[in-house]
Amino acid sequence: MSAALELAERAVAAATGDAVEAVVQAERSGFARFADSEVHQPTLIENESLFLRVARGKKVGSAAGNRLDEEGLRELAARAEAAAAASPEDPEFPGFAGAAALPAVAGHDEETAALGPEELARLASEAIEAANELPVYGFLTSGTATVAVATSEGFAAEQSSTDAVALALAATDGASGYAEQTSWQVGELDPAAVAREAVEKARRTRGASDVDPGVYRAVLEPYAIGELLQYFAFDAFSGLALLEERSYLAGRVGEPALDEKISLADDALDPAGLPKQFDFEGVPKQRVELVEQGILCGAVWDAGSAAKAGGPGRSTGHAPPPALSRWGPLPFALSLAAGEAESLGELAELVGEGIYVTRLHYLGVIEPREGVLTGMTRDGTFRIRGGKVAEPLANLRFTVSVPDLLAEVPGLTRSRRLVNEAAFYDERFAYGALVPALATARFTITGVGGPPGI
Amino acid sequence: MRALCEEAVSAALASGAAYADARTIVRRAQLVTTKNRRVDRVDDVESEGIGVRVLVEGAWGFACDRRLEAEGARGSARRAVEFARAAPGDHSRDLAPVEAVEDRYATPHERDPVAVPLEEKIDLCLRAEEALQHADVKVTTALVRAMREQKLLVTSEGTAVEQELFECGGGIDALASDGELAQLRSYPSAHGGSSASAGWEYVEGLGLEREAPRVAEQAAQLLRAPACPPGTTTVVIDSEQMALQVHESIGHPTELDRVYGAEAAYAGTSFLKPGDLDALRYGSERMNITADPTTPLGLGSFAYDDEGVAARRVPVVEAGLLRGFLTSRETAARIGRGQGGSMRADGWSRMPLVRMTNLHLEPGEGSLEELLAGVERGVYFETNKSWSIDDKRLNFQFGTQVAWEIEKGALGQMLRDATYTGVTPRFWGSLDAVAGAESWRLYGLTNCGKGQPGQHAHVSHGAAPARFQNVQVGVSPG
Repeated sequence: MSAALELAERAVAAATGDAVEAVVQAERSGFARFADSEVHQPTLIENESLFLRVARGKKVGSAAGNRLDEEGLRELAARAEAAAAASPEDPEFPGFAGAAALPAVAGHDEETAALGPEELARLASEAIEAANELPVYGFLTSGTATVAVATSEGFAAEQSSTDAVALALAATDGASGYAEQTSWQVGELDPAAVAREAVEKARRTRGASDVDPGVYRAVLEPYAIGELLQYFAFDAFSGLALLEERSYLAGRVGEPALDEKISLADDALDPAGLPKQFDFEGVPKQRVELVEQGILCGAVWDAGSAAKAGGPGRSTGHAPPPALSRWGPLPFALSLAAGEAESLGELAELVGEGIYVTRLHYLGVIEPREGVLTGMTRDGTFRIRGGKVAEPLANLRFTVSVPDLLAEVPGLTRSRRLVNEAAFYDERFAYGALVPALATARFTITGVGGPPGI
Repeated sequence: MRALCEEAVSAALASGAAYADARTIVRRAQLVTTKNRRVDRVDDVESEGIGVRVLVEGAWGFACDRRLEAEGARGSARRAVEFARAAPGDHSRDLAPVEAVEDRYATPHERDPVAVPLEEKIDLCLRAEEALQHADVKVTTALVRAMREQKLLVTSEGTAVEQELFECGGGIDALASDGELAQLRSYPSAHGGSSASAGWEYVEGLGLEREAPRVAEQAAQLLRAPACPPGTTTVVIDSEQMALQVHESIGHPTELDRVYGAEAAYAGTSFLKPGDLDALRYGSERMNITADPTTPLGLGSFAYDDEGVAARRVPVVEAGLLRGFLTSRETAARIGRGQGGSMRADGWSRMPLVRMTNLHLEPGEGSLEELLAGVERGVYFETNKSWSIDDKRLNFQFGTQVAWEIEKGALGQMLRDATYTGVTPRFWGSLDAVAGAESWRLYGLTNCGKGQPGQHAHVSHGAAPARFQNVQVGVSPG
């Protein structure tokens, strides 16, 4: 038995209650963050923390800590027990997970796990040197995140996942371009190629002009559609949001609301993503169809929201990390089905006249019930004229109803890309969206910001 | 703890660091949330560890360890030096000089918020929720939070500062729904209530139960309110939304590390340049902005920042003119002014960054009613709902939970889904009135994100309602 699972089981044994659940998160990670072609914020993190839930009948309390010696465990158990004693009964408490068969998943790479600070710095150096003519900003990060869950009901499992991201913004006054690669295998990353993609994009952004607000056809690169879908999905495809009628899906499940080319799933089992075996309540991960050929199918659930819903529904294995648990179940492995277009150029041809978007910035949800979001484009926004990517544009403010944007989709690319969506707050939990590029008939520009560049 | 920090600093210097600092932190944070009159969360999280920052031949390095013991301290120091030595790029850094100091500080408080029994916290939430009940309200939520952070900083320059910081806060939400629309109202602030550096007496004084019926009734009224029509008009913005307006369009762009590009790939840069100091007109003469880490109750209040720089109040904008940046020792030395004072890290496992402390819009004169009285036709905005701003902090769009028409100097009908948008200097240039000190309120936010890996900062903003001319209101999403 590995150290993390052994710790989880010791924690279960240390607590007294009718039922106990222990979640251990262990992190070993490094960030070589660079700005103006210099590593300026290098961070190495080693941590291991324990989240403990204790149930006394239907009274449930929790506590967390990272002092993990015997005294620390006793004190942590006492705090969780005190929280349970202080809490009123929760009649909908679903209990903790029992033993379950787990799917076999990929997601751990020895080379990535063994990466030290010198290797991380060397990979960052590859990106910086490849950028050459332009200053680059971004980071190389790699990490191993181990999650172990043990319950008094018989669940005991551990998964050690690796992840790595190479991200580069090539930027100077009046020009900027963006690129990134994400994988659970650092050997799949080519930091120099990331930097070259960013530089090539930046070169074409000089001399940006404005456009008038209005509704445009548009091509969204995977970086852009991935982030847009992730923001939309947190509200739209959460079982809890559905129950509370703040989700776009409320009252619409079964409706053919989107273009038939749109099929969206949450699939943490796909080795092309960042695979996960079970969620933070010890429920096996499963692929969940969210949209099939434009028809709204359903949402993801954790144990608590499934119990609230009643009926035959059960957790789909989407309990988030403890630090995010108050948000309820969340889809962290979005997978948008590919289309037929062979290239981004072919999508531009389908658009004809419109706007090309590389990346988005600072999204905000204006109205979750209708899926209305706002944000800015940045680091590679262009006009599309005559089916070709044309002159550069300033950063544009858009305000869109995501379902409306997805209601008429002229095409998607055949190839897909894993786009990092994690900002690495709290304990490390890597996640991303596996998406193609997408063309839409409706992308609404509501304002104009500054030029590209820094 | 001090011996541990000193051991880390010594190990870093012995490994070749020219400068080193070590911070030990023991943080305990509690969050109680109730939803629909049931306990939703009772979290009690303790985290401790040591973070060591080093400067080696001009390059930074940072490493950390949860173990508050000699092995963790020395290991962090060695790994930080190793990472700094490996860092690619040309490195050259000066730090603005600060006087070494040995001191202790604790947040003034009457009642330790962490020591308040969980039963009392749960009861307060459930009572507030009971008062939120309304036929049209489908989801009610109440939360209270409490935090105690014991922090020790030791630097290789001789500083040793021990601080014990207390925070607490609370809030309520009512989500009304009729199957078609869903509308949220919150008090005293959106997105998790409002917090302060204070004892539990702050939470008791919020009046969550007292305000709940109004909050629920307004959520229900929003279901029947028309959407805010688009147009260009005069707007009056309440102090809560003004706090976020200050945060996004003044706080972040005046962080000098952003001006120099440190956040370019993530949070973005700034439309400001170092040469804009004392030269750039940020807004109208009614605009006065102050950074003040000595503000009573402020979440950004301390005696020393995470570089050991003593807290002091500084002007950022005076009568509309840019007068100061938020700085670190490094960026202060680079611009040749000040000595820093805004460096803050999120716990022991993150490197300090330039962060806001408490950033305020200074009060003007008169009451909210007097501001409204000067408006023939306009919109009054209250309580943030959504926010977005571009990477240079120029083009922004904010939505509020509720708005009202202003007709002939008085509030008219309620409006839902109201947004306003603008470009930072143009918007602040249209400021023609700020209400007086009696309307000035302090709000504490706990969700300010920055850095990679990500860090949350807890900051406060004080503001009074303010009036702006010719503002774009409402948009039609495609």
